[in-house]
Amino acid sequence: MQAAIVIKNLKKTYRGNTCPAINGLSLSIAQGMVFGLLGPNGAGKTTLINILCGLRSFDEGEVNIHGYSLPLQWKEIKTLIGFVPQEIALYPMLTAYENLKFFGGIFGLRGAVLDSSINELLFQFGLEQSKHRYLKNFSGGMKRRVNLIAGILHRPEILFLDEPTAGVDVQSKNVILESLREINRQGTTIIYTSHYMEEAEMLCSRVAFIDEGKVACEGNPPEMIKQQPDCASLEMLYLQLTGKKLRD
Amino acid sequence: MNKFRFLVYKDFLLLVRDKAGLAMMFLMPMLLVIIMTYLQDSTFHAVHESHIPLLLLNRDTDSLGVAIEKQIAQSGIFDVRKTINGEPVTKENLVMAVAKGDYMVGIIVPEQATLHIRKNVKRYVAGAFNGKALSSVADSVQIAIYFDPAIKSSFRTTLMSSLREYAVRTESDFIFNEIIAEVNRLSPVPVADVQLARNQVIFTEQYASLKERDKIPNSTQHNVPAWSMFAIFFITISLSGNIIKERDDGSYTRLRLMPCPYAFYLFSKIAVYFGVCVLQFAALMLLGVFVFPYLGLPSLDFGIDYFALSFTCASSALAAIGYGVLIGKVAVTHQQAAIFASISVVIMAAIGGVWIPVFVMPHVMRLISHVSPLNWGLESFYAVFVRNENGMSVLPECAASLLFFGLCTGAAIWYNKRKRIDL
Repeated sequence: MQAAIVIKNLKKTYRGNTCPAINGLSLSIAQGMVFGLLGPNGAGKTTLINILCGLRSFDEGEVNIHGYSLPLQWKEIKTLIGFVPQEIALYPMLTAYENLKFFGGIFGLRGAVLDSSINELLFQFGLEQSKHRYLKNFSGGMKRRVNLIAGILHRPEILFLDEPTAGVDVQSKNVILESLREINRQGTTIIYTSHYMEEAEMLCSRVAFIDEGKVACEGNPPEMIKQQPDCASLEMLYLQLTGKKLRD
Repeated sequence: MNKFRFLVYKDFLLLVRDKAGLAMMFLMPMLLVIIMTYLQDSTFHAVHESHIPLLLLNRDTDSLGVAIEKQIAQSGIFDVRKTINGEPVTKENLVMAVAKGDYMVGIIVPEQATLHIRKNVKRYVAGAFNGKALSSVADSVQIAIYFDPAIKSSFRTTLMSSLREYAVRTESDFIFNEIIAEVNRLSPVPVADVQLARNQVIFTEQYASLKERDKIPNSTQHNVPAWSMFAIFFITISLSGNIIKERDDGSYTRLRLMPCPYAFYLFSKIAVYFGVCVLQFAALMLLGVFVFPYLGLPSLDFGIDYFALSFTCASSALAAIGYGVLIGKVAVTHQQAAIFASISVVIMAAIGGVWIPVFVMPHVMRLISHVSPLNWGLESFYAVFVRNENGMSVLPECAASLLFFGLCTGAAIWYNKRKRIDL
């Protein structure tokens, strides 16, 4: 299978810090995969996603996305990726439809294509009745769904998701996960971070545990659990690898 | 270009739906311009039309005391009182009443003031007829004037100047009459009762104008452009807040990951806020023309050089927007931006001459005023509204404003790039 993302010996230390946030990380993510980046707080997951999206620079190493190299070909990479941040990165004083029309328009979608794409996704996510309401009046789950739609409206090749189900109810979570599976079936590679191990176990075809800026373990979740006879779940494996000590 | 259109439309919608923000950008400046113009206009009228409470203790019962009392009463400026709560005025209760602020001014005309002046006149006339040298020491009359400590020195100076004018007039009339009387007494040939002809020297007051069209500077012509400049620059708070809000809620991060040049993002904001500044300025001008007369204020005269007016408005708006963009980029939090923007605009307004004219400032402050963008805008507006200058004369100040806009925007772009790479 062709690689969507290839990372080689990536290093990143934030200015003023002595401890590296990413410390010689190497990873290859195949196209069409749902890849989970798991790890405790401060492990380097968000830094890694930000580097892959071009939001952060890095000190050493190589990053290739669909054959394009970062940071030189960031412009080309931007047309391939979609990003769903953890926070609701939308305008509360615009309606759901206006928000999506704006972000779709910036991605270059126009006219009937843009309209049909918005309406289709709003229907899929159960928001078609509320599309002309201001986002500020939406519930947390509804906002999360619109947040996700804004990232997939342009049908990206690679979709980055930073804890897309944080703080949502079971129904919204179910719709989001179902939709992600559907998007993946259509060929989009998904890179996903979460603290919900059960969710990652269900959704991801492959996961990597990141700790102290390195890959601690990587593989297919059922196989990884199988290799550790004393671990019955991904969460137990996670605790075994990263320890029970609190992280900041 | 379509992406730019989407960005502009988004910013437009966000702006028009922010009712509080709109009120801050349109109603507050209107209120500010009305209040400031009204206050300055009434301060001018306060001296000339209102009746300032004046307490008079006239101890001279003769003609000089009477003449002073008459002059002050006839001036129309003062409301002359000679008793305090029905009690006759004494020096002690006069000082006390003025010190407490019950009266703004207190005047004590000393005893035998007339007698002293008469003695002096007699000496002068006798000396002139006899050819004797006069002693240089003359009996002077000291009229004590007490002021309420709370009144401002500028107001005190204005009052003193009016009082001096009446005193000099009274004194000259009195001395002239006394000289005639004394001469008639001594001279074998009596001098006719000469009436003192007033106003032999007439001052005609007019403002120098560079064009034939007369434009009379008044509180409106001064205040509307000055406070409009102030209002235009207050847009920095809203603009920087808008930029920080987008950054904080993550929508700016999302935008950065989209195939959209940063210049589009920046110039869409500049375009929308430029429109706001122009509308704000137009609203303030229309207020000056159509609403001010209903408030008893002089109507605003636009002048005839619409190019200079438009160019000044555009360049000042861009200077304010550039400044707002830079603050929005550099400030870390919304509070930081709001406090810094408002205080820095107030400082720039103060040193730029919005509150106090630059010409009354100390030399150092006059030099510093030249670095305030508000001063550049204000000077250009005065050139149009007050001095009747043509479009070419505003070019240096407008060019400075445009350069300021360019520098601020350039710095914001540089900072944005540096932040992205270095973090």
